[in-house]
Amino acid sequence: MNNDFSKPQRQSIAGVVIMAAAYLYKIIKASIIPIILLLVKLQAEKLTYIFIAMGAILIIALFFSYLSYRKFTFFLDDAKQEFVINKGIFNRSLLTIQLDKIQQVNINQSLLQKTIGVYSLSIDTPGGENNEVMIQAIDEQIAYNLKEHLLNGQKISFGEPASLAENTPFFKLSAITLFKVGLTSNYGSSIALLAGFLFALFHNTKEILQAFDTDNGQVEEAIKTGFSVVSAGILTTIFLFLLLAINIIRTFVIYFDFNISKHKLSLLLSSGLLAKKNTLVSPNKVQMTRYSQNYFQKKFNIINLKLRQVGSENLNKDDDIPKSNLQIPGCSPAEKDELLMMILGKLPEPSNTYLPNYRFLNIPIILMAIIPTGIFYIFWFNFRELHNYYPLSIVYFLVTCCMIYFSYKRHRLLVDQEFIIKRSGIWDVSHEIIVPHKIQAITTFQYPWHKRADIGHINLHTAAGIIHFRYGNYTEIKRLANYWLYQVESGSDEWM
Amino acid sequence: MSDFTNNAIEIDQLPKYQEVRLNSLHPNYWKVILINISISFLLCGVGLAAFIYFNERVRPYAPYLIGTFVLVLILVILLYRASFKKRGFSLREKDIIYKSGIIAETTSVIPFNRIQHVALNEGMFSRMYRLATLQIYTAGGSSGHMSIAGIPADQAKPMKEALLKKLSLVEQ
Repeated sequence: MNNDFSKPQRQSIAGVVIMAAAYLYKIIKASIIPIILLLVKLQAEKLTYIFIAMGAILIIALFFSYLSYRKFTFFLDDAKQEFVINKGIFNRSLLTIQLDKIQQVNINQSLLQKTIGVYSLSIDTPGGENNEVMIQAIDEQIAYNLKEHLLNGQKISFGEPASLAENTPFFKLSAITLFKVGLTSNYGSSIALLAGFLFALFHNTKEILQAFDTDNGQVEEAIKTGFSVVSAGILTTIFLFLLLAINIIRTFVIYFDFNISKHKLSLLLSSGLLAKKNTLVSPNKVQMTRYSQNYFQKKFNIINLKLRQVGSENLNKDDDIPKSNLQIPGCSPAEKDELLMMILGKLPEPSNTYLPNYRFLNIPIILMAIIPTGIFYIFWFNFRELHNYYPLSIVYFLVTCCMIYFSYKRHRLLVDQEFIIKRSGIWDVSHEIIVPHKIQAITTFQYPWHKRADIGHINLHTAAGIIHFRYGNYTEIKRLANYWLYQVESGSDEWM
Repeated sequence: MSDFTNNAIEIDQLPKYQEVRLNSLHPNYWKVILINISISFLLCGVGLAAFIYFNERVRPYAPYLIGTFVLVLILVILLYRASFKKRGFSLREKDIIYKSGIIAETTSVIPFNRIQHVALNEGMFSRMYRLATLQIYTAGGSSGHMSIAGIPADQAKPMKEALLKKLSLVEQ
């Protein structure tokens, strides 16, 4: 077992297979339709050429993978406290990562890696691109050893055995909780998935039928007749049922066997049914802790907890799965408190509450309720066809006003010496917790027409996003800002 | 241990960022703003003139179009004037304050120990008047950055040096 990382070393030889598979996957993904068409349309005798071409692609992929395997080395520079990666076939690149800038180490295992018995290891640094620092294939033992060195720097002596098995998880997600989570949350991505699937189905069916020169609008026709035969109500039910089913399956695939264990100074979150994902986080590098609960989750007594680190704000956009591992999809209130204790050191219970002024309601009501309804009535006067639909506009108006009122009621800032909590939300009620010394910059602003009412706004910029507080008492906001500036500037606490 | 004190902090006794006297921008920067506005409006004006010239049907409405154009120009100049007057910055012992805003009055404060790096920018027209833009970056993303334009170049350079020195002091 090689645990001395001070000399340049290669990844596991199995990496060649993993990389070749990744190349092939890319090629096939990009050209799946032409390949199918070729296979369908081509005469049998020319099939051999195709197989030869495919074989050639496979060999080239293996060859390049082998080259990049040969050229890929990594080592730990103990003196400089740096992790160095050398890579690239034609364009050589040298990556140097300072150990104290590392905020998270991911040790993952895809299905293919599982069959070969290796892991991939990637390192997240603030501002860095995710896959930049990634070792494709590495043995479990080496991966965990390396991770300990990366996260703890000098504190660990070399050669100390480290493995997943020695730590008993203190938090586990049961199948029942997982089921509840699937029923109640993350509808958005499931809707996107289902829509994408339906679109792809429709599009591809058309394409294949066209290839057989038989498409004369049957697909559209079939959908039209489908609508007239089966009523829209049944379709909606099927859609909702499918959505829930997909949501539950997705939740199970991602979060199966989710558990958290303590690993020396860091927390290890691992989960996954087909592909195992392990993420290591040091609690003091978490920039923002957020927990939220919607109406259904409240009924089921589960809470969603998110640990946001540097740059989480930008990375949320592309649906990056390793990032979502920093989410604890469901826990009971007691478990939430325990986890918060683990991350923040103590339970935040700030008592000073700051509420927004009623003017908070004005602009949303005008923009979201009055203007759309007004536009509807302009049309209503001009088009007879709309006359039957006016109850809808009343319902819309009332629902929107209610939602805005809820968001006003829930918008508040809770403050004490050690914590800042921002509560907000309409459907999902969320609490965002930060520690004052994680603030990067403070912005306060005020509109001229709010001067006499003494109303103003504040943005607290952190490395994991902004905390907004709107329509507060400006005198109090300025007092708070001065206090937080004092805390940031007088303290010597590192923000990461 | 006897040196250790932990008295309650009087929040109202703390230094107040809102009461700091701010340095306004160099008057020449107003000229730079005017040059920038004139260039962009000149381009738009040429486009508008060509549009009116080549479209016979539009020609009767030309006075209205030109009127609107002039009105927008005046409005933009007035808004920029207001925002120019509002802008100001100040270096304190431990942080930097910048006030700005076209309609809203925004005050940003960045503590020195949260600055990631500092850059000095000189635009083409700014250079003509020996002015520079000081850019301060934090880990708080694009919204957490600060960009102070219209500082005299010979003043901006020592400011940058001072900030960098404080940065390295913090890091030690």
